[in-house]
Amino acid sequence: MYGMLFSLKSFVSKISPLDTKEGFLYYKTSKYALHYFETPSGLKFILNTDVNAQNVRELLQQIYSQVYVEYVVKNPVCNMKEPIKSELFRSKLDAFIKQSNVFVSRPM
Amino acid sequence: MADEVLFELLHSELVSYVLKNSEKDKKHGDLSTLEYVGFSAGYRIIERLTKEWPRFKDELDTMKFICTDFWSSINKKQIDNLRTNHQGVYVLQDNAFRFLTRLSAGRQYLEMAPKYVAFTCGLIRGALSNLGINSMVTAEVQSMPACKFHIQVQRI
Repeated sequence: MYGMLFSLKSFVSKISPLDTKEGFLYYKTSKYALHYFETPSGLKFILNTDVNAQNVRELLQQIYSQVYVEYVVKNPVCNMKEPIKSELFRSKLDAFIKQSNVFVSRPM
Repeated sequence: MADEVLFELLHSELVSYVLKNSEKDKKHGDLSTLEYVGFSAGYRIIERLTKEWPRFKDELDTMKFICTDFWSSINKKQIDNLRTNHQGVYVLQDNAFRFLTRLSAGRQYLEMAPKYVAFTCGLIRGALSNLGINSMVTAEVQSMPACKFHIQVQRI
């Protein structure tokens, strides 16, 4: 997945006629949309959503500042290079997504 | 503004540094250095914090000071519960101990909890020592982020 996103990112920056401020934001297919957010420190956040989701970039930014930084960066046990095993991070992330208005449980 | 985070990050690094050093020459799990660092810090900080305060009437008064002003100037909150048996044993309970709130909520990483409370145990012991009370401070963590500090006053 990393290779695909890296190529997409460089492709978008080359093909764009104007100078891009933010670069690659998301791609949409008929079934899902993949949203991408990169921080200045090189961390990449990827979220797969429904085709109709709005304001996901803001959501990703909030997840970074309110959940990731709080419960992973400030956690002395979490090593930056390993996958995150903290249960607290998982539950806080879950709670955060559920109370955001991007998450809507709609009967299919 | 940023100083709360700074202290927390510094404390995490202090813990990992002390443990890495003790792994090299001494035995595993040696927290006495950490406790001593806390002791010196507590000893000196109490001098500064109680600059303008009158002398404490008795031991219980001193404990109440530790629970309210001392704890809030260091951790920005007060101790949630103070219990005593009036025979020199005090239990201070903090339901959201600042160095444990980011670790986990419940039982995960429980075995790592003692490392992160050792400094604060020393801090309390140092503060009490400079106020004239010799004691032994231990901590008990059953479920994070709540933490209980047991203080046993040593009377000669």
